[in-house]
Amino acid sequence: MAQISINKPKRRELLLYIGPGFLIYAFVVLLPIIFSLRYSFLEWSGGKNAKFIGLNNYIELMNDKDFWWALKNNLFIIVVCVIGQIGIAFLLATAMNSKLLKLNRLHRTLLFLPVVLSAVVIGFLWTIMYNKDAGLINLFLKVIGHPEWIKAWLDDPGIVLTSVSIPLIWQYMGLYLVIFLAAYQGIPKDVFEVAEIDGASGLKKMWYITLPLIMDTFKVALMLCIAGNMKVFDHIFIMTNGGPGNASTVVAQFAYNNSFIKFKLGYGSAISIAIMIVSLILIVLSRKVGGKNHA
Amino acid sequence: MRKKIQTVFLNVPVILISITSIFPIFWMMYNSLKSESEFVMDKLALPNKINFENYVEAIRIGKMQNYFINSFFNSMVTVIAVILFSFFIAYFISRYEFKGKRIIYYLFLFGMLVPVHSLLIPIFIQFSRLGLINNRFTLLFPYVAFGMPLAIFLFDSFIKTVPIEVEEAAIIDGCGTFSRIMRIVFPLCLPVVSSVVVLSFLGAWNEFPFALTLLTSSEFKTIPIGLANFSGQYSTQYTPLMAGLVIATLPVIIIYIIFNKQIVKGMTAGAVKG
Repeated sequence: MAQISINKPKRRELLLYIGPGFLIYAFVVLLPIIFSLRYSFLEWSGGKNAKFIGLNNYIELMNDKDFWWALKNNLFIIVVCVIGQIGIAFLLATAMNSKLLKLNRLHRTLLFLPVVLSAVVIGFLWTIMYNKDAGLINLFLKVIGHPEWIKAWLDDPGIVLTSVSIPLIWQYMGLYLVIFLAAYQGIPKDVFEVAEIDGASGLKKMWYITLPLIMDTFKVALMLCIAGNMKVFDHIFIMTNGGPGNASTVVAQFAYNNSFIKFKLGYGSAISIAIMIVSLILIVLSRKVGGKNHA
Repeated sequence: MRKKIQTVFLNVPVILISITSIFPIFWMMYNSLKSESEFVMDKLALPNKINFENYVEAIRIGKMQNYFINSFFNSMVTVIAVILFSFFIAYFISRYEFKGKRIIYYLFLFGMLVPVHSLLIPIFIQFSRLGLINNRFTLLFPYVAFGMPLAIFLFDSFIKTVPIEVEEAAIIDGCGTFSRIMRIVFPLCLPVVSSVVVLSFLGAWNEFPFALTLLTSSEFKTIPIGLANFSGQYSTQYTPLMAGLVIATLPVIIIYIIFNKQIVKGMTAGAVKG
């Protein structure tokens, strides 16, 4: 049997089967990364005149208040969403792990549904929900007898960042929920039984048994949440287009505005490289959180 | 008694959160069947009588049917291309040893981490230089390319579980590489293939930033862009926009109802790896 080696592919076959897919991937993902490095050293607005300006774009970027502002907005959204998405999802998963919870499957199906919808649809839906006349939010506040809580949700620079984060939490908590549920399923049942016999209950069980056992999943969720919210763009583009002013501008929007509105392509490329570096740093950092665990 | 109280305390919050998750979508659906005046009168009540006016408007003025067809075309071609390319690549990666194999694998995994928005600008520049902007096939490039990493990862981990003996028998029978992959391995992988089909369909259907930046002619634009254009025409009327949103959403919800297991499985597996 050992003679039948499907271990060494012929060169021709390799090219034939891997080639086309890899070429497309290289053309769309790898090549642009290399080129954007080159463009980032140019002053260029798309025409024939491109001037090599060395590191000037990066220096300008480091001194660009709008960039730091946008990055700060991303960080704010990340913090709110880590608490909202991962926190709520974890509590839900814990509740759903209990035998006392009814309609488990139905809950999971309903909670996950928003995850598959398009960000643009969610953006529009929440724009309507936040609307002062048409929206459900203000209607709800009136119904519960607190009309004084009504705010200009998307027009008040002071609260707009929170307002745009809520749809993100609403849409994606289901994703983290199923991730946690999958992790719970991986915990052997007898671990809980032994703990119960030993008299551990409720919170204690969660703190001493569940949490350590799903620590790795927590880290994965944290990384996903950070990576996901560094990329956030569609929702906010639809809801506020970064406004009012630049109150809800995130780095992706900042890059978009510079490249496609102001047509500063060289600068836009430098922003792209910066986003990539910041995202990768954050992802690596989030993997390090919690120390020695092998994820 | 204590157990009863616990049950209530556990179930009520979860039910409330579930309702919060689903009600806005439901609300949008039934309000899209109201006339604007009926909506203004009462935002919460179910429609008195079913009224398709908003849908007529979304089609007549919003041209949603064109966008729908474009999105459908993009999504279908994306699915087929992603499946084919990724399956072959994953097969060779998991079954063979060759030079550069690990590099190729990691380059693809890297694609799951790289923020798409940081590639918009360089891709836009590259595509406009090559004259690839603004035609029927423009969006297929990014959709296929960004669909492949997750597909390759899912296929690769599944093919590893397919016993190699089934293939050895086929080789003895003189089966060539192509028919071995397509007739023996591929059918065994159908559970994960269905996950990839659905996820790449949804990915292409919902995609926004590439459609926003790489197309200018409305002839090829997709549903999310169509919605943005359509909403621009109505600043105070909401029911036609809701009809448009439902047109964009209904296929997704139907797919979700049918394939929700495969979607959840594919997404968690991909996420946990990523």
